[in-house]
Amino acid sequence: MIQSTAKKVLEGGRVDRAEALELYRHAPTHLLGQLADAIRARKHPERIVSYIIDRNVNYTNVCVARCNFCAFYRPVGSSEGYVLGFEEIFKKIDETIAVGGNQLLLQGGHNPDLPIAWYEDLFRGVKARYPAFKLHALSPPEVLHISRLHQIPVPAVIERLVAAGLDSIPGGGAEILVDRVRTLLNCYGKATSDEWLGVMRDAHRAGLRTTATMMYGTVETDEERIEHMMRLRELQDESGGFTAFITWSYQPEHTERGGIEATGVDYLRTLALARIVLDNFDNLQASWVTQGGKVGQLSLAFGANDMGSVMIEENVVRAAGASYCMDELEIVVNIEDAGFIPKRRNMHYEILGDPIFRERDVPRMLSLATARAGGDSSVPEELRNYPARSREGKRIRLSQ
Amino acid sequence: MTTSSLFDVLMERVSAGERLGADDLAQLAATPDILQLGMLADTVRRRLHDSQVTYLRVALCPFDKPFTDAVPLAAREVRVTGTPDTLEVAITAVEAARAVAGERAVSAFSWLDVERLAAAESSRPAKVLEQLRGAGLDALAEVPLDRVADASSVVQTIEGAGYRHVRLTIEKAPAAARTSLFVAAAALQERFPVIQSISALPTLLDALRPTTGYDDVKSVAMARLAAPNIPTMQVDWLRYGPKLAQVALTFGADDIDNVAASDDAPDGRRRAPLEDVRRNIEAAGLEPAERDGRFQLIS
Repeated sequence: MIQSTAKKVLEGGRVDRAEALELYRHAPTHLLGQLADAIRARKHPERIVSYIIDRNVNYTNVCVARCNFCAFYRPVGSSEGYVLGFEEIFKKIDETIAVGGNQLLLQGGHNPDLPIAWYEDLFRGVKARYPAFKLHALSPPEVLHISRLHQIPVPAVIERLVAAGLDSIPGGGAEILVDRVRTLLNCYGKATSDEWLGVMRDAHRAGLRTTATMMYGTVETDEERIEHMMRLRELQDESGGFTAFITWSYQPEHTERGGIEATGVDYLRTLALARIVLDNFDNLQASWVTQGGKVGQLSLAFGANDMGSVMIEENVVRAAGASYCMDELEIVVNIEDAGFIPKRRNMHYEILGDPIFRERDVPRMLSLATARAGGDSSVPEELRNYPARSREGKRIRLSQ
Repeated sequence: MTTSSLFDVLMERVSAGERLGADDLAQLAATPDILQLGMLADTVRRRLHDSQVTYLRVALCPFDKPFTDAVPLAAREVRVTGTPDTLEVAITAVEAARAVAGERAVSAFSWLDVERLAAAESSRPAKVLEQLRGAGLDALAEVPLDRVADASSVVQTIEGAGYRHVRLTIEKAPAAARTSLFVAAAALQERFPVIQSISALPTLLDALRPTTGYDDVKSVAMARLAAPNIPTMQVDWLRYGPKLAQVALTFGADDIDNVAASDDAPDGRRRAPLEDVRRNIEAAGLEPAERDGRFQLIS
């Protein structure tokens, strides 16, 4: 069956669940890579591997979702909880622009004390100061959280956020789109599989482009990993709104769930399978931030055509034990060393140009920044303008 | 010949157990197609070792620190690290390692250390090797091919001093220079069967200019293809980490060296070194087998 499925893939055919499972479980690793690489070459014959210079900012770590695989969040009232101030975020944008960046990937916890007006004001503030700067912000569970907080339908939330400056939606919070898995990970409450896909469908209908993700390696079966891909493929057939797919392995350090991380070979096999199954996705990112630069680079032989983001800052997987860093120079070196042509892109995967460090001096970046310096528990001044929902939030407002 | 037909021909040849020639290796070294290269190397690896991957738990002991608490029972080799200034200090360290190692193998130092110590003593490397052997040394930890002028003479000297295993390494040669070293290693092993293993990845890591994943797996694959007569193709667990070491197993490596010997599992049993290395080998579709420092399987 593997040979016939391989032939089918090479001829441009679409695999079904059974064929995908057979490939994942039994195809030799190099064969999986070859099939994925053939699809990558078909979709990107020019041998360009893209990347984006943007900054991964987490505006708050306060979260009521309590996913048991997350080491980043802090409960409401925690002394370690934070909300970034608008000026802090503007400063991060300045730093991003200084190294050639054009976008924030802005995500955060489900903080009950941040009403939709806070997001709207932030987005408007960003656009007023930086009209060309892009906001790739608020994953589906965050959109859903705002919808629930205000009892506003998701399409209306999206409409308001877009009006304020939202440019696109990142695919975070997908984990595995199977409700059995989501229940075990305690993330069913933040968004069921249908709800996650529903937000994406609404976003695509609103004309937004989004990405899709998969965090594997917790409690899911092989079949459920494939089910996740199939559900994404179906929505992509319907809407065509996904620009890219990104998968990474669960990072277990400091999480409530604990356990172990899936291996490097498993990552390459999963990535390759995603390239084969997701035949209607143009772009697959390499997750160097979870796999390290070496396996990140090897991803380019296993179906990836994009090295993701320079990131500049990262907080979530760092909290769970991963602390890899690649600046633009290192990303470019890795792309070229693998025999590809590096190009900068935007979120829509439009090519922006050659590496920025070849055009002007850009400082080397040997470690990723964090949301805040350790011990900084300051409360942003403007928070007093937004009503808090939680008792602790109200207490903080009163003390301001 | 097209690239794919070249690989098809080479696959037939390596499957039949044929050694590849210098021209074949030069073509392979130039290819960006690491997957085809990996398939070739994996074919050789499987022909030699089937699905078995060995691993070695090592107690690393800096020569200038007490050894007593540094050697867990689970260690299968005691490896003295560092560069002592004098032969006397080196011998003392080896004797101390031998005392805590018992029947287990003791390895230490690099050939470069032997040369340096011999020069300091106005002695010959052969004499230094004999003295270290007399102190209880079983093997040099490293014989860096890229740092010795006359590898043949070096290996002959080591063999002449009574050592039964030689482990070839690469200290810092760039990727482009390694294939010729692997070819030389293969020729050397034909003359000196005492050469038991080769480690294809640099032992000296440059934090500012790290090697890439492509470089690393390509080196492993090229070493396996160039030197199928060297029984053991190693990758260093501690230096290169679980992810790269595991991927290297699918590119020709058959032995994981330098697994921490500590049985401590503060993060839980499944993250203990032994469980982690076995899990990674199995997750690569291979079968783990523990060996000792003398390349003997432990049942």
